[in-house]
Amino acid sequence: METNSNNISQEQLEAIERYINNTMAAEEQYAFEARLSSDADFKIQFEDAKTLLLGIETQSLKEQLDKFHDDIPTRKTPYTKSPKIRYLQLRRFVAAAMIIIVAGSFWFFNQDTNEKLYTKYFVPDPGLPTTMSSSTNFEFYDAMVNYKQGDYTKAIQKWNALPAKNDTINYFIGVAHLANNNEHLAISYLEKVSSEPESYFKNDANYYLGLANLKEGDIEKAKLNFALSDNENSKALLSVLNK
Amino acid sequence: MRETYEKERQLQLVDAIKANDPIALKEFYMSNYSKIEALVLKNSGSVDHAKDLYQESFIAVWKNLKTKTFQPKNNTALEGYLYQIAKNKWMDVLRSNAFKKTNPLTNDKLIFLKQNDDELNDVKEEQLKTILKAFKNLGQPCKQLLTDFYYSKKPLRVIASELDLEEASVRNKKYRCMEKLRSIVFSSKP
Repeated sequence: METNSNNISQEQLEAIERYINNTMAAEEQYAFEARLSSDADFKIQFEDAKTLLLGIETQSLKEQLDKFHDDIPTRKTPYTKSPKIRYLQLRRFVAAAMIIIVAGSFWFFNQDTNEKLYTKYFVPDPGLPTTMSSSTNFEFYDAMVNYKQGDYTKAIQKWNALPAKNDTINYFIGVAHLANNNEHLAISYLEKVSSEPESYFKNDANYYLGLANLKEGDIEKAKLNFALSDNENSKALLSVLNK
Repeated sequence: MRETYEKERQLQLVDAIKANDPIALKEFYMSNYSKIEALVLKNSGSVDHAKDLYQESFIAVWKNLKTKTFQPKNNTALEGYLYQIAKNKWMDVLRSNAFKKTNPLTNDKLIFLKQNDDELNDVKEEQLKTILKAFKNLGQPCKQLLTDFYYSKKPLRVIASELDLEEASVRNKKYRCMEKLRSIVFSSKP
């Protein structure tokens, strides 16, 4: 072995790791700190090891960020500097805006009332908190990140790839399909959840199932679903539908 | 109930980031990118600039959390800090000669961006750069082992069972990998 001052024994390295991770017993920590302040060489070794560990973590993070980046949806319309609207163009712009407003309100007022109710009430479930992830559930929570970003297609794809399906996964796949305007698919997943008597998501599943049926135009089914859910929105919707 | 969630989440995010929790990091990374991309694109940058700038800033925030240089009170403060760092770095890029002189090009700007670390002149920063490079090019088995242990914080016994080895031999292997890394760093010093 070479004998430069950088050399460090396995025991020393592990002691430094314990110190950094705060897993040293009080007595050992006291001795460690005493040596740090009295032994200049040891202090250098310690600082070097610390930088080495920070370097390993930083480079690992760097490499992980590139993987994260692949999941960022690419901007569909490139960001271009908006040219200033010139006066003559402004007139055209106003004319176009008028047409849009007229057409839009026509569409809005003729919109099916079910559809309107649906749009008024539908907000995707906010999702589960993703800061308490345990490594065993990495794939599930990884998809949850996409879900929370509104990338429902990717979330569904990842959840569908998981080997075991439970009510939590079915529930979120269902809501994601609904958010993606696939109410038909949403219903098939949400029905699985609503038929499980013990499910934590049963209440919410019935609510979203009601919304999905409402969107499909099946009012009777929707009413049944809302009746099975006791959240505030379900009650409100039920009273509107029963009018 | 959602409110309690939110409070818990605020407290946990910083700890989770410090512990390199992949999901917390990913969510934080993904949810802040678009703001910084918009900043760069609106100010004469490209998507590539945005990605590089964002990653540099993200790592700077992570490092400052780890070393306790920055201790945010809540998530909004954390997000604001990230944005501020990115903004300052981008202003530095825009002011730089490399950017002004070579307008349509991309490469020089990117190189400049990469060098433009706040503590560039710091000896320690130089040393860290050498380590990053050495670790980047370290052979795969060692790199994986050290990443699992030091970055992903996997316990030795878990790594051992994944590799189908005894814990003691993984422990020894880890030490030898560290020595290998250290010797590369040491020999590549200017």
